Amino acid sequence: MRRYDKITPDGAKDRLFEQCEVRREVLSALSVLFEGRAYREVITPGFEFYDVFDSSSNYFPQESMYKLTDLKGRMLVARPDSTVPIARLVATRLRSHSLPIRLYYSQNVYSLVSGSNGRSGEVMQAGVELIGSNSSKSDLEVLALSAEALKRCRISDFRIEIGHIGIYKYLIGKLDCSDAQRENIRSCIESKNYAALGDLLKEFDSPAAKALGQLPRMFGGAEIFEEAAELFRDFADGELDEIISYLEFVYSSLQSCGLDGKLMVDFGLVNQADYYTGIIFHGYIKGAGEPVVSGGRYDGLIKDFGENLPATGFGINVDLITAALLQNGLYNAEKKKVLVFCAENDVSSAFSYIDALSQSGVTAEFCTFDTLEETESYAVSICADRICVVSADNVKIINVGGNADE
Amino acid sequence: MSKLRIALTKGRLENKTVELFEKMGLDCSAIKNKGRSLILHIPEPDIDVVLAKAADVITYVESGVCDMGVVGKDTIQECGSSFYEVLDLGFGRCRFALAVRAGSDFYGGYGTKCIATKYPKVARSYFESKGMDIDVVKIEGSVELAPLLGLADGIVDIVETGRTLKENGLEIAEYVSDISARLIVNVASLKLKKNDIENFIGRIERCL
Repeated sequence: MRRYDKITPDGAKDRLFEQCEVRREVLSALSVLFEGRAYREVITPGFEFYDVFDSSSNYFPQESMYKLTDLKGRMLVARPDSTVPIARLVATRLRSHSLPIRLYYSQNVYSLVSGSNGRSGEVMQAGVELIGSNSSKSDLEVLALSAEALKRCRISDFRIEIGHIGIYKYLIGKLDCSDAQRENIRSCIESKNYAALGDLLKEFDSPAAKALGQLPRMFGGAEIFEEAAELFRDFADGELDEIISYLEFVYSSLQSCGLDGKLMVDFGLVNQADYYTGIIFHGYIKGAGEPVVSGGRYDGLIKDFGENLPATGFGINVDLITAALLQNGLYNAEKKKVLVFCAENDVSSAFSYIDALSQSGVTAEFCTFDTLEETESYAVSICADRICVVSADNVKIINVGGNADE
Repeated sequence: MSKLRIALTKGRLENKTVELFEKMGLDCSAIKNKGRSLILHIPEPDIDVVLAKAADVITYVESGVCDMGVVGKDTIQECGSSFYEVLDLGFGRCRFALAVRAGSDFYGGYGTKCIATKYPKVARSYFESKGMDIDVVKIEGSVELAPLLGLADGIVDIVETGRTLKENGLEIAEYVSDISARLIVNVASLKLKKNDIENFIGRIERCL
């Protein structure tokens, strides 16, 4: 029998040293930011009943969730997302809490991956949920916070793109089509597959079909709003106008929050159309081939758990940010280390010396070798800065590869 | 402008793409005299061209190490997941078809049918959409052999002229889908390098 005792499963990996340090820096920068904005941390279980994610099965397909069973044979899943468990938590445990509720999380999410495309099945996500407010201010808060979060992670080259699911929902509602057709149209808009979208819409000769066909092309800067006015001229009932002018208001408000040049609009953002109910947004950074931020308004989700509360939020893929920081060399590699050596009966002096050094920010390693000779060759192998030989009454410094001085 | 990187599917699609690029006025001399190099440069607009096997084009574009790719719809259907599929380039046209031994009735009888194919995902999802259970056997080489040897009841494969099928006593039972070369774009690249990529797509569109 072949034993898998020396490798990790597909999609899982060990993280070492600077990968951990950079990730911890990112996580702590984010929690400082979120707590400073009055978000409070929650941790939901790593595994939940399958039923929690079942009502939202469209966005969490069963084939992509890790499953287990409990002792009663009930099906459990490894948390594929944090927002749904938080919706459950809010609807059950925070029912009498005054609104709005601001929550943040940083925890792993799990999904089954094929393993041969380099994707990770365990992703560290940090994010916020702002629950109980449907005002434009809450949309703006969450959007501006997502940009600030990227800045706090020392990412300066990023873009936030904003869309509104209402545009697609309005237009598709005007089209007399089957569920299957609707899903095909949606997925062609999502993948900006102009050719296939054109073919699908050919049989519908209506202004709505024409407008849907243009949606994936409608992305860019503020000029998109002018194009929209032209494209949506035929829809005079005001509903669509309201959505577009809201999006324009959000866009220009964020511009004045110092995000000019970082913003884009994309009318073709139609991912997870059943889940989102208003503004949707993504964040992109250089060096990551997929969005690192994903968020939006989901006013219907908490209702699935019995409380009718509007909500908005976003999640950040911390692993992608960490990888980008490491890749761009935005991390000071090896810190200089001091090796502390002492005779066997001077251990207590050595320990207090090490404490003093580390309190002043120097990394001090206690040397466990018995002789100074072994210590010196070890110091060379770990590229230590210097060796401190500690005795009860003095400290002798030996520069590695150099001469000793008192 | 920032440098763009495009992955081309080696072989026939590569030649067709180079023809298209030349029509657009790009200097493709590096690609035509490539020797053993795998990354080649087009001076204007500033583009690196990567030559790769079809499925690898998708991998490179999806991960973002290449901004764009030229790849057949057949490969997209078999391995694709998340990227933008922005243009049908019109060349490399052929079709996926279900072929069976001439004169046989594929849908007759109650037994679960067996399909031999190089494209298990395409075959499975086609019959799944019909609500029909099938067995799939993955074959790497000449798929036509499988029904002749009695291993499978039919094949799902790419058909251009249908001559190979005819010469081996097979016939097309039905067409599954149309195939042609597509221009695909990484999701983040389209947003971060919008102008450069849109200009390039525009130049292609004017030459199609």
